[in-house]
Amino acid sequence: MVLKFHQQIVGDLVDDPNGGLVILSSGLSLPKLLSSFLSLHDSSRGSLLLLHSPHHSSSLKSLLLSFSPDLPLSDITADLPYTHRLSLYSSGRILLVSPRILIVDLLTNKAPASLISGLIFLSTHSLSESSTESFIVRILKSFKKDASVYAFSDKPHAMVSGFAKTERIMKSLFIKKLHLWPRFQVNVSDELERDPPEVIDIRVPMSKYMVGIQGAIVEVMDACLKEMRKTNKVDVEDLTVENGLFKSFDEIVRRQLDPIWHTLGKKTKQLVSDLKTLRKLLDYLVRYDAVSFLKYLDTLRVSESFRSVWIFAESSYKIFDYAKKRVYRFGRSDGKINAKTKIKSSKKRKLKEDDDNGEEAISSSSTTSMNTSVLEEVLEESPKWKVLRDVLEEIEEERQKQALSTELLFDGEEDNNGIVLVACKDERSCMQLEDCISNTPQKVMRDEWEKYLLSKVELRGVQTPQKKKPKAPKGYGILDGVIPVITAQNTEASSACKQEHEALMAAASKIKNLAKKQSDATVDTEPQVGSSRQGKGRAKVKKKKVPANVQQSGDGDNCNNTKPYIDNQSKISDLENEVEKNGINPAIQNGVLEKHVMRVNAAKDGDSKQLPLVYFHALESDRPILDILKPSVIIVYHPDMTFVREIEVYKAENPAKQVKVYFLFYEDSTEVRKFEASIRRENGAFESLIRQKSMMMIPVDQDGFCLSSSFSLEPQASSSQNSITRKAGGRKEVEKEMQVIVDMREFMSSLPNVLHQKGMRIIPVTLEVGDYILSPLICVERKSIQDLFMSFTSGRLYHQVETMVRYYRIPVLLIEFSQDKSFSFQSVSDIGDDVTPNNIISKLSLLVLHFPRLRIIWSRGLHATAEIFASLKANQDEPDEARAIRVGVPSEEGIIENDVRAENYNTSAVEFLRRLPGVTDSNYRAMMDGCKSLAELALLPVDRLAELMGGRKAAQTLRDFLDAKYPTLL
Amino acid sequence: SSSSSSKNRNAILVSNRQKGNPLLKHIRNVRWDFADVVCDYLLGQNSCALYLSLRYHLLHPDYLYYRIRELQKNFKLRVVLCHVDVEDVVKPLLEVTKTALLHDCTLFCGWSLEECARYLETIKVYENKPADLIQGHMDTDYLSRLNHALTTIRHVNKTDVVTLGSTFGSLSSIMDASMEDLARCPGIGERKVKRLYDTFHEPFKRIV
Repeated sequence: MVLKFHQQIVGDLVDDPNGGLVILSSGLSLPKLLSSFLSLHDSSRGSLLLLHSPHHSSSLKSLLLSFSPDLPLSDITADLPYTHRLSLYSSGRILLVSPRILIVDLLTNKAPASLISGLIFLSTHSLSESSTESFIVRILKSFKKDASVYAFSDKPHAMVSGFAKTERIMKSLFIKKLHLWPRFQVNVSDELERDPPEVIDIRVPMSKYMVGIQGAIVEVMDACLKEMRKTNKVDVEDLTVENGLFKSFDEIVRRQLDPIWHTLGKKTKQLVSDLKTLRKLLDYLVRYDAVSFLKYLDTLRVSESFRSVWIFAESSYKIFDYAKKRVYRFGRSDGKINAKTKIKSSKKRKLKEDDDNGEEAISSSSTTSMNTSVLEEVLEESPKWKVLRDVLEEIEEERQKQALSTELLFDGEEDNNGIVLVACKDERSCMQLEDCISNTPQKVMRDEWEKYLLSKVELRGVQTPQKKKPKAPKGYGILDGVIPVITAQNTEASSACKQEHEALMAAASKIKNLAKKQSDATVDTEPQVGSSRQGKGRAKVKKKKVPANVQQSGDGDNCNNTKPYIDNQSKISDLENEVEKNGINPAIQNGVLEKHVMRVNAAKDGDSKQLPLVYFHALESDRPILDILKPSVIIVYHPDMTFVREIEVYKAENPAKQVKVYFLFYEDSTEVRKFEASIRRENGAFESLIRQKSMMMIPVDQDGFCLSSSFSLEPQASSSQNSITRKAGGRKEVEKEMQVIVDMREFMSSLPNVLHQKGMRIIPVTLEVGDYILSPLICVERKSIQDLFMSFTSGRLYHQVETMVRYYRIPVLLIEFSQDKSFSFQSVSDIGDDVTPNNIISKLSLLVLHFPRLRIIWSRGLHATAEIFASLKANQDEPDEARAIRVGVPSEEGIIENDVRAENYNTSAVEFLRRLPGVTDSNYRAMMDGCKSLAELALLPVDRLAELMGGRKAAQTLRDFLDAKYPTLL
Repeated sequence: SSSSSSKNRNAILVSNRQKGNPLLKHIRNVRWDFADVVCDYLLGQNSCALYLSLRYHLLHPDYLYYRIRELQKNFKLRVVLCHVDVEDVVKPLLEVTKTALLHDCTLFCGWSLEECARYLETIKVYENKPADLIQGHMDTDYLSRLNHALTTIRHVNKTDVVTLGSTFGSLSSIMDASMEDLARCPGIGERKVKRLYDTFHEPFKRIV
């Protein structure tokens, strides 16, 4: 069933033949909207071009076809021959094409503009005035004024980043109409809230340590933000922890800091990246299990410890400490560090049994041979795991009950296979939850733990011959040169770390030996792990059974605070409305009362209850899972605004279906705050858009009326440009049309677009040497700053310059800075006292010493580049296309490549290959011929490699590198 | 005089015109002497440099051209060292770029006197240095090589390299890993998994 507001949007769009921009709330099913819009396409008017980024093409196509299978969709790819492409362009169908291909086809007249009825852009929020998309629209409109342009976006918050972004995008796409469709729009909310799904909101308390870690991370974040404020470089208003929860925070900060980036000290730059790391940690805390989280922290410590500021913050000690305590505890028998762990494991277990609150931790101890240290496993499970299981059991119970009562009436009326949909953020969580449900959580934790330990001994295991040694070998004590944990106790620290490390190693070697034994003998010991306890926390709400998690934290001292909040029958829309009403207040809490929560002792029999069929869905994967599965029960394991909207839409489309939704939130967590903040943020974005819309100045000619002079569109970027236009009206310089030959790959960048705006004719070809050919003499290799640094490191620039020098009189390196970033390489403080080989100054100097003929252009930005090009060309002949193509093409091969290399090669694999030791410029081609992929290469024996690489020594070097054992972490 | 000429060979010879240029006090890594030379800085037998402040250029737009003309064809490497000391750079820099480029000079931009001085020092110090520094050789220890290779794949960072390394144990196992195994690594999301997997498993050459 098509949604009414979708029909309305489509109707509005169709009304104006010029097209329009639609911005709607995320989750309101843009693909469906698009498919119903496309189904109105009239092929007699010409082909409709749907622009997409190359890697999305196939998924987008199948998605559209799944909604309306009759759509006349076709792909245009670079490897289609010219005639075939031409016939597709003239077919009147709907064509999926990448901007890069389309602009080249338009410029080379392979795509006849007269046969194109319109363009559709999907992620409009990622466009800008200088992007290829606006180039396309300008070219098309110059040929065909009445072509329609439709643009869509379902990321409203991205449409308001930057000054008047929406208006500028509309201008560059020649769009006059803006359609805003927020979730709170009356038509939308009416339709979605008429018969909303039944919602059960479950608040799961976090464990004590999780709360501790979360608190510590927020504290550290706050400390970092305070430090940032001290720099006086950033607008204080935006620097809140709440903003810090979102990815766009980096953007806010970077946008403010970029223009002055070079003046910033190392510390400020580090703070920016630290905040990013911390945001990730907050997310992973609720997403990963205790062991994986610890492992991630370990890797962070290894990869970041030297640079980071946050790791040295006071509270960050807590993060590491608590994260560890969720997994294991370490103490020494002399009792100096942690007296509690002296308790023998059996005793501890008893203590817990007395509490008997469904404690999930398994504790056992492994004692090292020296008997001075104790490693006690805690292996805290994620609190949501148990709740999930309980919910599933309850669902099944209910279903059976219902089945009994309705069996007689509607036999076989079952509308689906009873699948329960569990939605998590990522694939990884899906797999793990699946494990949890099919096995026991304890087993999952144990597996993770064993993997964790083994990853630590991997290297050591190879060095010391694998004998069965219950005693910890001496060699295990060395710390491997890696900085140990930053602990508060300083003198004790290193020795404690050492012992802890030994204990971990001992535990790991035990596991290894166990695994070995098990593989020898039949597996018998398995049940030991899982059987310790299967406590079932249960709670009741009114007459209905609703699962509640009764979770007790490690020490068992605050179990009274950890009651679940359960809200029955709240509505999703309530969440939104309340968030709106209450502003910053954690609104959801308001409506939630602690109702009749009863704690039931562990069920005696509840070991293996029946579970319904469960499907785990990763939100990342972007599949229209609701339409595929048609579930009637959905468990939202990781709350996500977009998915909530999708559920609403799904329910509205299937009004007859009973849909029940369980939300699993961690109580008082940043997860909840993030969810609420995302709604607030979107609403805020729409409010600002509505304001902008009311003030928008849309010129009459925004349909591309006065396109005859390409100069009319030139943005007056800087005052210096004004003087030129004032002098000559900008027209004199283009008396003869200038031509620039541009390499196909350069259409990824915006420079061709800007050159065209300047009035130059762009000739796209595949160039073997250089990126831009300005004249028969001048060949330009363009490097953005980032490219420049990278291609110096890889040696690519050296070789590019080498060939340019060989073939052109005036070889030019264009160093192009970004308009919105600082115009300089480094701050004075970064230059240092000595001539150092890694500084960019040294590299550039060395380059010109070896190629004294090389010329360098320093450009402030795209527009400055265009002006420089124009002035350089002033007294030169126009470049010759046919000659430019031939330059540098190896003559023995004879054939001139007609296609873009990026499409013919797996470029990242080729680059990867060339960076492996033993691989050189002279042998990598032969290697690519001799084996299909890197995966295949990884398995080739030395002899075969020697054949391919033309030498035994190189082959051995490569083989050794591939097989080298990665050093361990601790 | 032979001793003075050998001494001079290791020093930058500075034209008397440059007397009073505050840049000179930042040349610390190389010796320099005033001498009677046609260029501003004689950096080696075949290389020389002219110094130009953009602010000065705005006042005397023809200065650079005449200085370049004076040099005649006596040098292989002719550097125009441009001190960017104005805010609005686009127009003056365009003029300087054009003059330098069309008269066989290589343009360097420095944003501070320190930076300008460093270019002069470096060109002198590196006079006879081979190019291997910029030919793509790098640290040869295992971890940097591994980082170097794996970070070619977009969005893969150093932390991911550590994760991958410690999970799979060796590069060959990483390259042979299944999508599922890759996805199990903490911190490696859907996109990275796909990029990694595609890099390793898609053929080098696509079938055309």
